[in-house]
Amino acid sequence: MQFLRKKRLFILLIGVILFVTLIGFSLKDRKELSLPERFINDTVGWVQSVIHKPIKYVADFFYNIDDMRNTYDENQILKEKLAEYKSLIYEAQELKKDNDELQKIIDKTDSIRDYNPIQATVIARSPERWIDQVTINKGKKNGVKPNMAVITAEGMIGKIQSTSDFTSTVQLLTGFDQFNRISATIPREDAKDTFGLIEEYDKKTHSLLFRIIEESDKELKKGDMVFSSGLGGVFPSGLPIGTVKDVIPDQYSLTKTALVEPAANMYEMNHVIVVARTLPNPDEDTSGEDKK
Amino acid sequence: MKRLYITLILFLLLILEGVALEILPNKWLIGSFLIVPHWVLVWLIIIALFYDKQETHHAVVFAAIFGFLIDTVYTGILGVYMFTYAVTIYLIHGVSRFLQVNFFSTMLFVILGVAIVDISIESIYYVMGIIQISWQDYVVHRLFPTIVANLLFLFSLSIGDEANKKME
Repeated sequence: MQFLRKKRLFILLIGVILFVTLIGFSLKDRKELSLPERFINDTVGWVQSVIHKPIKYVADFFYNIDDMRNTYDENQILKEKLAEYKSLIYEAQELKKDNDELQKIIDKTDSIRDYNPIQATVIARSPERWIDQVTINKGKKNGVKPNMAVITAEGMIGKIQSTSDFTSTVQLLTGFDQFNRISATIPREDAKDTFGLIEEYDKKTHSLLFRIIEESDKELKKGDMVFSSGLGGVFPSGLPIGTVKDVIPDQYSLTKTALVEPAANMYEMNHVIVVARTLPNPDEDTSGEDKK
Repeated sequence: MKRLYITLILFLLLILEGVALEILPNKWLIGSFLIVPHWVLVWLIIIALFYDKQETHHAVVFAAIFGFLIDTVYTGILGVYMFTYAVTIYLIHGVSRFLQVNFFSTMLFVILGVAIVDISIESIYYVMGIIQISWQDYVVHRLFPTIVANLLFLFSLSIGDEANKKME
């Protein structure tokens, strides 16, 4: 019995030591996952993508019944919108052609606006609700790298946190802290643009905090769109992030902070696009957007 | 053979935890209640109560392994689930010899187990600075809904078990 108690104490001590070491190891600023982690993630991810499909099929069937009720109204609105878009498309094409020609004249071929899209499907969401992360079915083998932006049709949803060979995890905007800043801008016609940093997600107001560094002459309005500016060096420019909900002065009223509501719905996304910026990052070692 | 089934079911639950949240209607996810599925833990408690003998500790070993898997796959912070799951299952296995094992004691152990695990995970994350939330908010918005949701999971398991017995 004496021996047994000693053994138990021994195991408990080893457990505590292992626990502290593991936490220390995983909180360290790691660039890459270790081999066993990648192996586990890929194996689990593969089974998840197999199971995900039939379940999704059944779930979608019930959603579709729900959607059917609103179809008529939505159709009317969409028809009106479609007429507007036709003229917009023509205009956009003309502008694009003009832009290309002008850029050719000044010998500028690459732009921070360009990116290669990598299509991916969301296969799982972390059950630990404090950690806002989803798993997608594309990994290193498909060209996904850490810190790439992830978007849906509506706007940005987050960035790649870590990659395995065939799956990767996405940190959602709702889980952004002060270590994941996005340099962003609010573009203006006939005035200077507003520049600033998206600093973190505020869980109380359900919005991103956009600290304004350089203010425009025109006042910020509710409903202004916020885009990524591409100046952080990792994300391309022009990805929609969200709309301004409210503007508040900071503690000392020297700067202003805008509350930005994310444009994309973080809870309703199946197909996402991983955005690989074509223009190389000047300093590849930075692990966060603006972390220097 | 039995051990293989246990492992397979644990693995399936681990995967379903992640897929379930992706598929549930998003109205449930946006609301103010945060429900965390601890299905792997519920199954581990059942193993500790019904499969383990007094001297064996298979459930604790399973708890450590699958806690580690949850850490790697879903959170990226290694060790948190592994440690809390293993310790909680060990405690439950230790206490279970004082109580007769039936449906109500299982229910009690699931409530206790989920509460201990969730509170310890909360405290560890709080110390690490991952979350900042007051304890009142935590208890109202996360702890109680989580316990209720996992009890529902236990009920559905027991209904399945009853149906299985009737079939035989």
